[in-house]
Amino acid sequence: MIGCYATGMFPRPERLIAVTRAYDRKAATEKQLEEAFEIAAKEVLAAQSSVGFSHVTDGMLKWQDLLRPFAEHLSGVRPGGLARWFNNNTFYRKPLVTGDLKRGKPIVGVDSHIMPLPRTIAWKTILPAPYTFAQLSENQFCKDKTELMFKYAEALREEIEDLHRQGFEYVQLSDPALVYRPDGLSVSKDELAFVSEALKLAVAGLPVATCLQTFFGDFAAILPEALDFPVDHLGIDIYETDLERLKEYRFDKGVALGLVDSRNSLVEDSHKPAALATEILDAISGKSLNVYVCPNCDLEFLPWNWAKEKMQVVASVAELLRRQSNG
Amino acid sequence: MPRWLSFLGGSRTDKLFPTQEIGSLAKPTWRVKGFKGEKLSKDEIAEAVIWARRLGIEDVSELIKTLGGKDSAERRQAILEWSATLAIRLLETAGLDVVFDGEQWRSEMYEQVARNVAGFALLGLVKSFDFRYFNKAACKDTPRYVRSYYQDEFLFTKEHVERRVKVPFTGPYTLVDWSFNEFYEQQLNENIRDLRQRKFEARREFLFDLVKDVVRPELGMLVEAGASWVQIDEPAATTNPSDREMRLLVEVFNETVKGFNCTFSMHNCYSNYEVLAKYACELRGCSQLALEFANRDSQQLGTGSERRGFEKLALFEDHGYRGNYGIGVIDVHTDFIEPPELVRDRMLHAVSIIGDPSRIWVSTDCGLRTRSWEVSFQKLRNMVLGAELARRTL
Repeated sequence: MIGCYATGMFPRPERLIAVTRAYDRKAATEKQLEEAFEIAAKEVLAAQSSVGFSHVTDGMLKWQDLLRPFAEHLSGVRPGGLARWFNNNTFYRKPLVTGDLKRGKPIVGVDSHIMPLPRTIAWKTILPAPYTFAQLSENQFCKDKTELMFKYAEALREEIEDLHRQGFEYVQLSDPALVYRPDGLSVSKDELAFVSEALKLAVAGLPVATCLQTFFGDFAAILPEALDFPVDHLGIDIYETDLERLKEYRFDKGVALGLVDSRNSLVEDSHKPAALATEILDAISGKSLNVYVCPNCDLEFLPWNWAKEKMQVVASVAELLRRQSNG
Repeated sequence: MPRWLSFLGGSRTDKLFPTQEIGSLAKPTWRVKGFKGEKLSKDEIAEAVIWARRLGIEDVSELIKTLGGKDSAERRQAILEWSATLAIRLLETAGLDVVFDGEQWRSEMYEQVARNVAGFALLGLVKSFDFRYFNKAACKDTPRYVRSYYQDEFLFTKEHVERRVKVPFTGPYTLVDWSFNEFYEQQLNENIRDLRQRKFEARREFLFDLVKDVVRPELGMLVEAGASWVQIDEPAATTNPSDREMRLLVEVFNETVKGFNCTFSMHNCYSNYEVLAKYACELRGCSQLALEFANRDSQQLGTGSERRGFEKLALFEDHGYRGNYGIGVIDVHTDFIEPPELVRDRMLHAVSIIGDPSRIWVSTDCGLRTRSWEVSFQKLRNMVLGAELARRTL
C-alpha cells in the first residue's frame, strides 16, 4: 500500500495571517478570528483532498506550536517561556510542569476543526510523542524526565482513545527530540528502551494505526532499536538521515518517508524523490511494506502557496511509486 | 531637573561603563503610515509633535507641515528623516554614549537587506511564534550588490548626532539562516549525493558568496563614508549548535570584517550561550560581544545568587574570550522599568565575574522595537542612571 499525507502543522493562508495580526493589535474580534480559522481550515482540507492525500488533517492552524494544547490543557502543566524550536527560526512555549500531570479534559479538541473533515478520506491526528514532550518541557515536579515521559504517555493514551471515538483512524506521534542531536551523541540504548515502554503505554492495543514520525535528525542513529518500537509505521526525515546506514537494516513495519523538503521553497521534480524512495525501499524491505510519502517535517515552515506546491509533489511521488509497484 | 540627573548630558566614552543602544526603536504610527503615503490623523500628528517638543526639537512647525502634507516622494523622505531625528534625540536625551537612529530608515533587519540585494525574492509570511510572522525570502540566484542599503541612513545619522555612532548591521550568517537556499541547493543537486552534505555545502557557498559580493561591499561603503564602529547582528548565531556550524559562523565573521579599518562588535541574543562561549575567543577583530542577560534574570536587587540570569557569562571567560562585553541589563520584552539600582547591581555582578570593569559596556538586551517610545525612554534613562550608580560604587 502506498499512501501520502502531511506530517505536521500547515502554514496559515495569507488571509488568516492578516486576521491573526489584526487580532493581535486588537483590530479584529474573537468572532472574526474564529471565522477566519474556519474558512482557512476548509481551504487546507480542500487542498489535501484535491491533490489526493490518503489521510487528511485539519491543518492544526490554531495550534501555536506542537506542544501548546498540552501545555494549556493538561492539569499540572502551563505554557512557559519562549524557546527555539530546534534549529529553526521558530519558537515554542516550553510546557512548565508544576504539578501532577493529568488529562482532566479533552486536549486538542479546543484547537481542532473536526466538523469540516471529509467523511470519504481517513482522518489523521498529529500529537507530540512522549519523549519529545518530556525533553522539551521544564520539569519542576516529576522525579526526572523519564517519570514525566510516562506520566505524559498515560494522558496521551486517554487523548488518543477519545480522538478515535471521534473518528480518527491514524495517529502520528511526532518525535523530533529523539533524533535531533547537534552534539553528535545518540540517545542511549537504555533511554531507547524507556522510549519504547512509554510508546507501549500510549498506544499498545488501541484500534488505530500509529506512526512515530522523526524529523530534524538522523533516524539511522536510533536503529536497530526503533525497529521494535510498538508502532505500525516509522517516519524518517530523508534530508537529515544517513541513508547509507539506513539501508543496512531490514524493516518489517511500514515507513513514512519524508521525501519532500519543507524547509526549502525549492520545489522538487517528483521523479527524483521517487527514485530515492525506490532505492531506499529496495534496500530496507522490498516492496511488501506499507509506505507513506510525506514532507520531511511541518509544512508551516513555508508560505502557504509553496506548501500547496509541496503537497502536489508529495502526491505525485506517491503516484509514481504506485505505478512502479503495479509494474 | 534634579542635580543627580545632570550627568545625563555627558558624552565621554572613556569613562567606565559607557552606555549604548543595540539597534531598533519602535516605528511610530506617523512614521509607518506616513511612509506608506497614508493621511495621518490629528492624534497621530500630535504624537509626533509631543515627542518633538519634549525632546527640544527646534522646527516643530516644519514637522507639522510635513506630516499634514500630501503624499509625495519628498514627503516620504522627510518623514524618514524626522523619525530618525526624533529617535536620535530620544537616545541622546536619555543620556546614551553610543547611538544610532533606532533603525528608523529600515523596514526590518532582515527584510531591509532581502529587498535591496539582487538574487533574493521575498516569498511571503511564515510563522515565528504565535501570531507573529516574518517575510521570508528565497535565494534564487547568486546574490549581487546593486545598491547600498545602509549608507544613506548612516550619513544622515552621522550628520545629526552629537555622540559616538555604532552602525547595526545584519550579519551574513543570520541572513542565510533565515532564507530558503534554492539556488545553491539546486546547483549542487547532482554533484553531492549525501543530502545532509549537500545542504551544508550549499549553505557554505551561499554564505561566502554573500559575504564577498554583498556584505563586504556594503561594509566598504560604510567605512569609506566614515563609519568607525559596526555592530554585526547575528541573532541566528547558535541556531545550529553543531561544531561544524559554529566553526562556519566564526569563519564567516572573520572573513566579513577582515582588513577593514573599523571597530567591529557582534550582537547576539536569546541564544545558547553555552555554545557561543566555546567559540567566542575565535572571533578575530570582535572588540565587543553584546549579549542578552536581563531577560534571563530576576528583578530582585542584589548581586551573587540573585543574578541567576548571568550564570552563563562566566563561560565566556572560562573559554578564553578576552574582548569587551555589552552587558544586557534591560529586558526589551517587558514594560517593567528597571530601577537604576537594579541596573547597578547587574553591572556590579558582571564585574565580579569578569574582573576588569573597563571591559564592560552597558546595553539593552536587544533593540527596543517592541516597546513604546515612552517605555523605551524610561528604560534607557534608568540604564544610564544605573551605570552612573555602578561607577560611583566602584
